Amino acid sequence: MGAAVAGYLTFAVVLLGGWELTARLALVDADLLPPLSEVCVILWQFLHDPRFIADLGLTGGEVAVAFLIAAPLAISTGFLLGERLHLAETFNPVVHFILAVPQSIFLPIFILAFGIGFLEKVLFGITHAYFVILVNSFAAVRSIPRPLVAAARVFGATRAQIYTRIYLPAMLPLILTGLRLGMIFCIIGVLLAEMYASRRGIGRLIFTWGEGYQVPQLLAGIVLVSVLTIAVNEAMRLGELHVGRFYARASAA
Amino acid sequence: MHRRIIKALAIAAAAMALWEAVVRLDLVSQIILAAPSHIVLAAAQDGGVFLHAFATTGIEIGAAIVIAWTFGIVVGVVAGSSYTLAAATAPVLSSIFAIPLIILYPLLMAWLGIGPLSKIVFGVLSGFFPIALNTIDGVRAIERRYLVFARSIGATKFQTYARIIFPLALPAMISGLRVGTGLVVIGVVVTEMLASLGGIGYLISYHRTLFNTGHVYFGIMLALVMSVAVNIGLTWLDRRIGLWRMREQAEG
Amino acid sequence: MPVIEVSKLGKDFSAGRARVRALADVSFSVEEGQFVTLVGPSGCGKSTLLQILAGLIVATSGEVRIEGERICAPMPDKIGMVFQDPTLLPWKTALANVEFPLDLRGIDRTTRRKRCAALLELVGLSEFADHYPHELSGGMRQRVAIARGLAQDPRLILMDEPFAALDEQTRTRMGHDLLDIWAKTGKTVFFITHSLTEAIYLSDVVLVMSPRPGQVIDTIAIDFPRPREVDIIGSEAFGRIRNRIWHLIAEAPA
Repeated sequence: MGAAVAGYLTFAVVLLGGWELTARLALVDADLLPPLSEVCVILWQFLHDPRFIADLGLTGGEVAVAFLIAAPLAISTGFLLGERLHLAETFNPVVHFILAVPQSIFLPIFILAFGIGFLEKVLFGITHAYFVILVNSFAAVRSIPRPLVAAARVFGATRAQIYTRIYLPAMLPLILTGLRLGMIFCIIGVLLAEMYASRRGIGRLIFTWGEGYQVPQLLAGIVLVSVLTIAVNEAMRLGELHVGRFYARASAA
Repeated sequence: MHRRIIKALAIAAAAMALWEAVVRLDLVSQIILAAPSHIVLAAAQDGGVFLHAFATTGIEIGAAIVIAWTFGIVVGVVAGSSYTLAAATAPVLSSIFAIPLIILYPLLMAWLGIGPLSKIVFGVLSGFFPIALNTIDGVRAIERRYLVFARSIGATKFQTYARIIFPLALPAMISGLRVGTGLVVIGVVVTEMLASLGGIGYLISYHRTLFNTGHVYFGIMLALVMSVAVNIGLTWLDRRIGLWRMREQAEG
Repeated sequence: MPVIEVSKLGKDFSAGRARVRALADVSFSVEEGQFVTLVGPSGCGKSTLLQILAGLIVATSGEVRIEGERICAPMPDKIGMVFQDPTLLPWKTALANVEFPLDLRGIDRTTRRKRCAALLELVGLSEFADHYPHELSGGMRQRVAIARGLAQDPRLILMDEPFAALDEQTRTRMGHDLLDIWAKTGKTVFFITHSLTEAIYLSDVVLVMSPRPGQVIDTIAIDFPRPREVDIIGSEAFGRIRNRIWHLIAEAPA
């Protein structure tokens, strides 16, 4: 535990300190690497700029909508396939094929089909999130200890009781992991779509800054997105940990 | 056996015919779905250009794979060889891995231009993390008795790392290598799509802007071929390492 | 000169804030060609002593010498080791495993192959030279480990409860075959075990160790003539020695 903290601190110090120093000492062309302090100022200004907030909100909205649609769909499909294994056998090769294929490649087709608006980005995000969550949900259902279910039935547990007391605790860890990964993939998909072809959104902004050599703004955008995604990831990971522990205790009872 | 192959081919042929019909009959717009004939036409018209692009992309991917594997494995072995080091590095690497690395590409564009170099660097970045993380796990999982054995026969540090630690960690590494290499391929092609001078991704994007759907599909197919080829290569490697029979509870 | 000389050996470990004394004032010697076994209860420091002999850990006090030379690091050309776990490399064949220490030394392939093939024959596994560890039984793997321990032609072989993980019948058979191998090679063997039966059956001398902190309570010479058959285990004389050792250990102050 202490080592992890030390690791994070060391990394942060080296990265941020090194950045600031390199820029200040003009070891690298100031156009290529403006100092961290300068980037932070710009970021601060961005956070007070309504247009920027609007773009950020748009991207966030696309991610949220895509995730909120993909997650329940994927979990229910995963559950269904997990319970009805004969269905799983039919669909397994298809799912595996799709997973093996890099989905991002199909972005141009998405654009040809759906244009470059909100819908297209949400759909693209959905496809990215869906399969990861599906695979994890399927594994979650398969991981339920069947002898436990049989024993519960013998003891006269109702369907609802079996679902809440046995299925739920057993499935939760893997489903939560799937959701976290799904969120990461969803964010990647939406950002990629925005960077590739879009009028609005943080991805578009970042790409435009890159094309225009506006490095300070670009770095500000990168820092912001990095911090936000890491925060989301760690928050979800903490959730995984706590819920996992809670239900472990509950199911042991 | 033969009957199954003929059956499969027949189904494939029927699917093709159906596909062609769906497009011809305008059931799906030609802009969205290219008919097989369009794809073949695209191949015939610009096959040479595409092949050249395929080669470019292939070289970028190849270079990125070699570098990502080297970096990832070395960092993984070094970080994994001590409990403290592993406990300090793995969480950091894991957290960074959550960042959508694609947003770093515009920075690479600004620094390195839009030629092959920025793609290779991005590819390396994409593949590095899963490889390093899995290697760390693999090395940490090595039982102490092997290291004691190595000391008892007077193996040098290098010999211990190369002849004992590395092979023992390999099966765990392999899944990291698979994921990482897959990410390298996607990373290179996607960045080509975003901004490039050449390569398969570039052609796909280029033809999309011209609504040459046939060409777009052809390009995507070639990209998929690349991805599948890499996958097959990895499976072969996986199998050869499996030949070391580590999966089986070998040791007593 | 004795091959092994241990004088006033002591070993302390620090566990957190406490200091644990694993060994206290251990002294004994082993003559060339002897088969000596150290026997004692769990936690008495047998393995610690073996690790010091192997040069894997350093003593806190006293010294240990092999042929007059101090042992402070592994000496693979003088000391071979066989562990409780065969610890074979799963991706190498039996022969390759035996060759491994020589391979690391840089010995050329032909010499290696010849010597190690002969060793495999010595342990009775010539037919299995090309088999992988997972294809071999526990006893066979341990034989490969023994052959590997002999690969560098050491003066001394250290064996850390090598048969503890095997079932009783295999264990007895392995003991018998080990005596065969020992007779043919003339090495000095220092063996550690829990099993009093095993200790008495195998050795010329049994060193009895007390519970922690480990000390040598008694040195018992075993006079049964060699080659020894497994039946002697049932004999009255054997039983008497066994009882004697058992009482020594049971009554030793903890």
